[in-house]
Amino acid sequence: MKRKLRVLASIMALTLSVTSLAACGSSKGDSSPSPSGSASASGSAAPSGEKDTITALLPPVSPTYQDNFAQMEKEFNALYPNLTLKIEPASWEDMSQKLDTQVNAGSPPDIAFIGSGGIAKYVDQGMLMDITDSVTPDMVSDFDPLPLEYMKNGNSLYGLPAYMEVHAIGGNKQFLEQAGIDWKKVQQEGWTYEQFREAIKKGVVTENGKKRYGFVFATAGVASRDYLTILVKNAGMPDPFTSDLKYAYTSKNYLEVLKAVRQMIDDGSMPKELSSVDAGKRWNMFLTGQTMITGKGLAVFENSAKKNNAKIDANDGSAVKDSIKVDYVVLPVPSFLGQPPVSSTVVDGYVTFRGKKEPTAEHKANVVKAAYFLASGKVAATTNNDLFAAHITKSAKEAAKSMTIDRNPDNIAAVDVMLSHAAKPRPDIPTDKAAQAIKLEDEVIIPKLQALLANEIKPEAMYEAVKAAAIKAFGEDGVVKD
Amino acid sequence: MNQLPITVKKRKNRGDGAWGYAFIAVALVVYALFTAYPVASAFIISFQKYKPLGSTFIGWENYAETFQDSLFWKSLRNTVVYTVLTVPVGLLISFSIAILILPLKKFLQTTFKAIYYLPAVASGVTLSVVWLWIYDPLPAGILNQVVHFFGGSNQNWLGASATAMFSLVLMSWLSSHGTAIIIYLAALLGIDDSYYEAADLDGATFLQKIWHIVIPCLKPTTLFLFVTGIIGSFQVFQNAFLMTGGGPDNATTMVGLLIFNNAFKYFEFGEAAAQSLILAVIIAGISLIQFKFLGKDVEY
Repeated sequence: MKRKLRVLASIMALTLSVTSLAACGSSKGDSSPSPSGSASASGSAAPSGEKDTITALLPPVSPTYQDNFAQMEKEFNALYPNLTLKIEPASWEDMSQKLDTQVNAGSPPDIAFIGSGGIAKYVDQGMLMDITDSVTPDMVSDFDPLPLEYMKNGNSLYGLPAYMEVHAIGGNKQFLEQAGIDWKKVQQEGWTYEQFREAIKKGVVTENGKKRYGFVFATAGVASRDYLTILVKNAGMPDPFTSDLKYAYTSKNYLEVLKAVRQMIDDGSMPKELSSVDAGKRWNMFLTGQTMITGKGLAVFENSAKKNNAKIDANDGSAVKDSIKVDYVVLPVPSFLGQPPVSSTVVDGYVTFRGKKEPTAEHKANVVKAAYFLASGKVAATTNNDLFAAHITKSAKEAAKSMTIDRNPDNIAAVDVMLSHAAKPRPDIPTDKAAQAIKLEDEVIIPKLQALLANEIKPEAMYEAVKAAAIKAFGEDGVVKD
Repeated sequence: MNQLPITVKKRKNRGDGAWGYAFIAVALVVYALFTAYPVASAFIISFQKYKPLGSTFIGWENYAETFQDSLFWKSLRNTVVYTVLTVPVGLLISFSIAILILPLKKFLQTTFKAIYYLPAVASGVTLSVVWLWIYDPLPAGILNQVVHFFGGSNQNWLGASATAMFSLVLMSWLSSHGTAIIIYLAALLGIDDSYYEAADLDGATFLQKIWHIVIPCLKPTTLFLFVTGIIGSFQVFQNAFLMTGGGPDNATTMVGLLIFNNAFKYFEFGEAAAQSLILAVIIAGISLIQFKFLGKDVEY
């Protein structure tokens, strides 16, 4: 009896070990399922017309986006009865970590919604799926060419864009008019840094012991990246690399922008605590009348301001505490040193991933069908309207005709002007250079900018630090010298 | 004649051993899968340029890059500063609170233990949000209002190098004592009353009793909390990640945050693994020194 028990115990222990190890080992096997349970991400064969499942990891792109997932899956299946679209929702907070974990485990979803700026990173990992030969001419011709270019790296296409938004700034119409600023003219013709500096000085008002600033931009932590990026684009540096692939932020113009960053705080037009103002704080300051202009500004902020105005009118307690009614006016970023304005744009979209196994042509075609379904037509029209974002496909523009949207026509026109001089995509930048530039930005530029904003270093010191790091990363001949 | 009982004993032992292995099998498998395997993997990855579709062996390159990286040394210095400021003072605060709670009735003791342990139960993210609110840089911020009340000027708590590290340290001083207090209280309750009675007969004061009875008796507890506190502090990540993101000018970038950034921001898993192992060696070294110098006369 004892002998039997010993054998039984040993078998149980062995079984547990083998099961656990097998579970561990299977993640490297050929038939590894994708995170949502389908085998599609690993590129298993799916002969034409055969059933296939496409997985998508999608964040709440717009306020109502995730509410429509079940409907999207149903409509896609009705369109392609042999295909199943399986959507895994993720919060914005989880999105990057969830995707990165799946990518590094070698089992990403087929499609993930990310910014085009992240494409180089995943190309470097070898985990993106080139769909250049899988998209049909009809699909390509549906998209505006510029946003589609953003989804490329080298000559390869790695997904389809959902929208192209402008990173601008936004003003309080009433305060702008009180400061004597012709905002309609600014919307159409833009402004120089000198004009902008004078305008925000006029926007500084002290009422009942409370100060209203001329300009507040969210710069806490990594948000400072957006601030500097949108400024330097308008100072002759639309991209970290020049067309001959030299690192651009060693230019003298960069130093002038850094001086301007400090000047606006020293003038008293921006708060001296700017380095700790995050996105939520500056929006709160805008809605509570503590600043005339805020940044960064997205078109959808007009909608947020309108919703808060309606709550104030209805005496709704959920209106932002101490907020005032605000007419949100879209404004362009000023240009520096006589350089042409270049709008900072963000292109987000449906990026296509591959697993450890080479995907079959049929599976790639199916993934493209799903990405196109999400990035065009009714789905894109609904999402972009929700975001107040411009439509970038003919099919979405067509679908949007039957939808109503309450948007200020002056703001629409202003966004159109800014989109007309949007920054051009740079698929020619090699992934290793792009990765080095990101690391330099994270480890030198952002930390030094935080110190500059906190008045701990001078613009010249930051410029020298960036220059030294750039030369170390790209070599003496790899940086701009002017 | 003498051999028979020995054989029986040996067989008995073998049987007990088999059962022992069976009972520890689950724990052993869990340990192997979730501790030993990841550590071994990290060791291997630290010599590789990691890619999901196939890594390449690069020898000691990740270690060399780490030692040449000025940000690694800065983050290590920040971690040491944070540890030196938080662990000893934190232990002193926990010890003092435990001494204050000790004379109370059981109900009050339990109530205070629960109150002090509450932050340990609450999510770190939630606590960070509350502290971000406290450290609001504008004049309306809670801490700034306190500063104004005493005639001070507005402080950019998390946005200035001069105050960012202190702000994280202050947060640690005021919100992470639950576990230490409970452990100290348990140890205090274990001190035999006869020591205090003898001290009373000798006319010892409160402070003399603390110095000559409580502190020596609590030495094993203090050593345990000191060692685990330093290990935890060297691995600190959450506070810097959520409160400052490592800024300004990397003034609050700790080694844990640097490792996280290398792994999950830049996908430099090899370098991150190398830095993790260097950190593990440093922590092990410090722990050994602590045991050697502080654990000499400690009985377990």
